[in-house]
This record gives sequence, structure tokens and C-alpha cells, in this order.
Amino acid sequence: MHHNIYLRSSDFLFLFTSIYFCPEFLKAKCLMNCEVALILERKYEQLQQMSDDPVNQVSQVFEKSLQYVQRFSRYKNPDAVRQVREILSRYELAEFELCVLGNLCPETVEEAIAMVPSIKSRGRVHDDEAIEKMLTDLSLIKKFE
Amino acid sequence: MFLKVQLQWNVIIPSESLDAKGLALQKAIVVRLLEDFSTKKATKDHGYFLAVTTLDSIGEGRVRQHTGDVLFPVTFSGLTFKIFRGEILEATVHKILKHGVFLRCGPVENIYLSYQKMTDYRYVPGENPIFMNEKMSKIEKDMAVRLMVIGTKYMEAEREFQAVASLEGDFLGPV
Repeated sequence: MHHNIYLRSSDFLFLFTSIYFCPEFLKAKCLMNCEVALILERKYEQLQQMSDDPVNQVSQVFEKSLQYVQRFSRYKNPDAVRQVREILSRYELAEFELCVLGNLCPETVEEAIAMVPSIKSRGRVHDDEAIEKMLTDLSLIKKFE
Repeated sequence: MFLKVQLQWNVIIPSESLDAKGLALQKAIVVRLLEDFSTKKATKDHGYFLAVTTLDSIGEGRVRQHTGDVLFPVTFSGLTFKIFRGEILEATVHKILKHGVFLRCGPVENIYLSYQKMTDYRYVPGENPIFMNEKMSKIEKDMAVRLMVIGTKYMEAEREFQAVASLEGDFLGPV
């Protein structure tokens, strides 16, 4: 169960909200860089509103991660981010595989297999055609971002 | 790789704060949780702690006998970051030395790519040294490189991860 917790004090307002981009996100154990960027940016904005000195409110880990995901997000628009998760979720991918593909955005089937060799291992149902379709669907999002 | 985890931590509230009831007490617990989260930095299992995303529940407090403080078990969800052996990721070049390149990826400050793991690249000395291959592809400071993580290590004392990388593989190298 997720709570919305509003906490006030004379100095600041804490806002915790459950951030749902799409139903799959609830069950997600791995997150793509673009998803993390949206979460961390929102957190940072909240801190800026609350404090004169937001930089000192966040840990080094937070700051470095934010810089990283801002640089390495292929998708910036929240709707696009949602669509990427939605499209990749249609294929039988492990969480980890889904995120590597969403992060690295391979352009060819060959590249996709090189990035995530496990999608072609014995017993998996992905043929080249399915992978090709997946990549085409992803590239369409990029065009309309 | 960024991970979403659900954790249960014990948050300790000093007896002085316990006069507060309801929302004020809840706030004290949350504030303390966030402080603990920030200070903890990282663990071997979960990686680096980034942010608390949701507060899921606060259990009943238990009084600690000798101090009078109260311990609250708090269940929450958070974001962490960890790198894995076999993972392919993009990192930024931080430092170039004769025998290899040091890269950074998010909170991980120390990924080492040895010259032996990028055999078609050669060190080019100079004021701004680089590595370069026959096709004139360059590896220089601040640029992005796609690499494979071939080993990781957690340093308990410093609470940080280090890794060793390779470019030997298709579609790896400067981005």
C-alpha cells in the first residue's frame, strides 16, 4: 500500500507521492535511466522549493546519479518514457534485459543481441523478426518525441 | 543498473522527540529515515542508495530498555544503483593513463579499462593524452564509452564499488 504523506513544518514541506508512470512500473525491479531521470528531477525540484540551498540537501550519490541519467537518457518526455516501458513489456524480457535495451537503444537485431545476449539463449522465444519489430516500434517513439 | 527495492529499516527516535504525537511523530520518523538513508551510502547487496520513493508502512514502536529511545520498523521503497558483471553500460572517461583508462558511471567513480582490454586502441601521449585506433576512433576525457563490466568489487570500509571493464566485443567503444 502506498501513502501520500504531507508533512509540514515552519521551514519546509515534505511531499511523498507514489510515482506511477504506468501499471508496469509498480512491479518494476529495474529502472531505465530515463525513468530514473524523471524521478530524481522531480525530487530535486521539490527540494528546491523547500530550501534555499538544495545542493546541500542531496547526497553525492544522488547528485552524481542525476547528472548521469540526464546525460544518458535517450527519452526525455514522460509520455515517451511510458511508451518505451509499455512497448518493451510486450516482449518476454527479464527486467534487466528490458532496461539495458531501453538504455542503449540498439539499432539493429545484431546490436540488440550483442547488448543482451540472453535474449537469444536456448529456450527463449525471440526470433529475429520479433526483435526487429521491437526495435522498429522503439525507433518510432524517438521520432515523435 | 538502477534498481527499485523495498526495504525494512529500524528508525530510532530519541526519547525527547516522543512527546510529539500523530503527524509530528510521523514526520520525525521520516526525517530520521531520510538522514539514515543518506548516511548509509551503499551496501554490497543493494548498491548505492539514491532516494526514498514511497513510505509503505510504519510499524509499532518498541522501547529500547537502556536509553528510552523508541525503535520503529519502517517499510519503504527506494532507488538504488548497482553494477553487475556481464552488464553492458555507458560510462564517461575520467582519466587517461598509459596503461588504461578510468571511467565513471553514476555514483561509481572507479571503473578501470586496461589497455589489454582494448587491444585495437593505442595510447597517444601529449598534453591531453588519448587512446586511438587505426580507424581514428578516439577515447578522450569526458567522452562517453560503451563497455562491458567484467568484474566488480565492493569495498566495505569506503562503502563503494569498483569495477573492471572491457571493450572486447561487438558494438563496444566510444559512443
